[in-house]
Amino acid sequence: MTALRRIAQALAIPVVLLLAVTLQLALVNRAPLPGGAAPDLVLLAVAAIAVCTGPMTGMLAGFCGGLALDIAPPAAHLAGEYALVFCLVGYACGRARNAITYATGEQTMITSLTVMALGVAAGEAGKAALGMMLSNPDVTSPAVKHVLPVAIVYDLLLCPFAYWLVSLVLRRPAPERAPRPEFAQVATAFRAASAGALGAVPALRLAGSTPPPARPPARHEPKLRLSAGRPSSLSGTSAAFSPAKPPHVSGRAVKLNFAEHKAGTAVPQPRQRTSPGKGWLRARPAAGAPVLKHRPPPKGWLRAGRPAGTAPLRRRSPGKGWLRGARPAATPAMRSGSPPKGWLHAGRPGRPGRPAGTPALSRKSPARGWLRPAKPVPPARRKTPGRGWLRPARPAKLSWYAKSPGSQWVRRSHSPWSSRRRRLLALVGVRR
Amino acid sequence: MHDGRRTRPVLIVLLIAAIALITLDFRDAGSSPAHAVGADVFGPVERTASAVASPFESLFRTASGRDSSEIASLQKQNDQLRAQLAQSQVTTQEQAQLSQLLHLTNASHYRVVAATVIAAGGAYSDTVTIDVGTRAGITTNETVLNGDGLVGTVTAAAGSSATVQLATDAAATTGVRMDGTNEIGAVTGTGSTLGAVQQLKLTLFSATAVLQPGQTVVTFGSVGGRPYVPGVPVGTVTQVTSQPGALTQTALVQPFADFTGLGVVGVVVSK
Repeated sequence: MTALRRIAQALAIPVVLLLAVTLQLALVNRAPLPGGAAPDLVLLAVAAIAVCTGPMTGMLAGFCGGLALDIAPPAAHLAGEYALVFCLVGYACGRARNAITYATGEQTMITSLTVMALGVAAGEAGKAALGMMLSNPDVTSPAVKHVLPVAIVYDLLLCPFAYWLVSLVLRRPAPERAPRPEFAQVATAFRAASAGALGAVPALRLAGSTPPPARPPARHEPKLRLSAGRPSSLSGTSAAFSPAKPPHVSGRAVKLNFAEHKAGTAVPQPRQRTSPGKGWLRARPAAGAPVLKHRPPPKGWLRAGRPAGTAPLRRRSPGKGWLRGARPAATPAMRSGSPPKGWLHAGRPGRPGRPAGTPALSRKSPARGWLRPAKPVPPARRKTPGRGWLRPARPAKLSWYAKSPGSQWVRRSHSPWSSRRRRLLALVGVRR
Repeated sequence: MHDGRRTRPVLIVLLIAAIALITLDFRDAGSSPAHAVGADVFGPVERTASAVASPFESLFRTASGRDSSEIASLQKQNDQLRAQLAQSQVTTQEQAQLSQLLHLTNASHYRVVAATVIAAGGAYSDTVTIDVGTRAGITTNETVLNGDGLVGTVTAAAGSSATVQLATDAAATTGVRMDGTNEIGAVTGTGSTLGAVQQLKLTLFSATAVLQPGQTVVTFGSVGGRPYVPGVPVGTVTQVTSQPGALTQTALVQPFADFTGLGVVGVVVSK
């Protein structure tokens, strides 16, 4: 079923491109539009495809669509011009979309449209620039001066429509902003749990912990579930918590299990860490006092503003395969990785199509290991917190909620040694 | 579908392919086999699309002052008659001169093949595709006209479609003669340089010729009627733009043909 859908999607892209080329040549170019210029439907389609899929598909679509425009009969420019420009536009749009999703952890319609608009404008300018460079007699500077602004305006006007149409065809739901988890409150709860103040945490049902009957999740999407130490106790945990009820306290300690949905997959051992995480406590300046308060979180603090299933479904991992679950070697990183955005929101139970816990594992989540209660903060240190004992060794490794994330943070948000190790392994030819 | 590390090599390969295509086409001056392949592939597609889109087209043409498909057949007939009229507009004296000059024996050398515009080029180029090709006897460098006047010339012909470069294209230059004074000159398309205004630029070769608004411009003709047959009306002079002291006289010419609403055109092929 998934394979069929994928094939249908892969077939939809050429159909969209062919439709765009045909419409462009037979209809749009002939329409006496005011301003003496016309929108470029192919460029719009390429940008929308790139934004909806990624750089690889985007640049392939750009090359093919541009080449079709180059060689379809009334073309007066050199073959390959538009292929070059559209290929670059598709690649750039896909890359920019991925980079933004990578940095912010979510894909909103606004960012997609912005990327698309910039790409389309750059594509129009690139067409004009390449034509002038190749001394096309039609593309002179007065002609460009007349045509380019009008064409860009038309393209920008059609941008949302093209995006909507392509995302409809590619069956990608229009991405909505996933609600940001209240990490301060969540951290309070778990810190309290780890410190033994409350004794336990509310038995939570994590979104996506129940596998839907219709469509099993993709193989490399790790499932996240919070259980009472038993990896297979799905039913108990899922029934325990309903979003309307206030979180009740049970006497069990919490454990976090990251397991493949296959039963035979061995669960690797958690990596032992000596500290709870990179400065995860820094968000609270008075670190010691509020932890021990027995104040329960406000009622309904776990209720999702929006169902977590509406978070963008990402088919691939956000970065260089750092979380790809299919590879066994990536599993330690995954285990120590933070939970995905929206994991705490109670998924809509009656939603069959999509597992709600599959949104992107984002970089916006807290630093790794913040949830692990195995090694709580040593009480001795907590009694006498010296000055600056919580300050991390390197200020560049701050967590996102401790400080507003800068570009440095994006680059350093996970250990540099993982990429170094991967590069080294690739150098000596070891394939994982 | 993983957009991972393979992206960049593929991008480089695609860019190299595009640059290679550009280079080949540049070497062949825009007539590389890629265009022929494209014409064979996309010609039928465009024909189908044009048939599907004909309601919209008639809508456009209604919007721009033309009317529906019932007129099309009449217009076809009319175009042929008008073309013959355009041929016979040349007076007998001029005809004698021209035939002496151009080795034309008589004007019945030509026949007109009616065609329909099925696609148009992009914002910068003024080119259209017509639905007849080499199977109908169309070859390159043949005059295209419609009921109003000169449209352009065929620049590429495939089996069932041909590409026409309009007279307004910035790369198109047509030899013309002033009706009445017989001064010769050339009109060049302005492309998109004037925005949406479709006008031609006339340059007279004689510095002493009198150029006035309202004068009619007809084609001068080429050897063997290629790319332009003589006597096809082009347009009227609207504005004389020559600078004082300039060696040549220049003017803007409003073409007779409506280039934004082209429907049925005729291609003048030699018998």
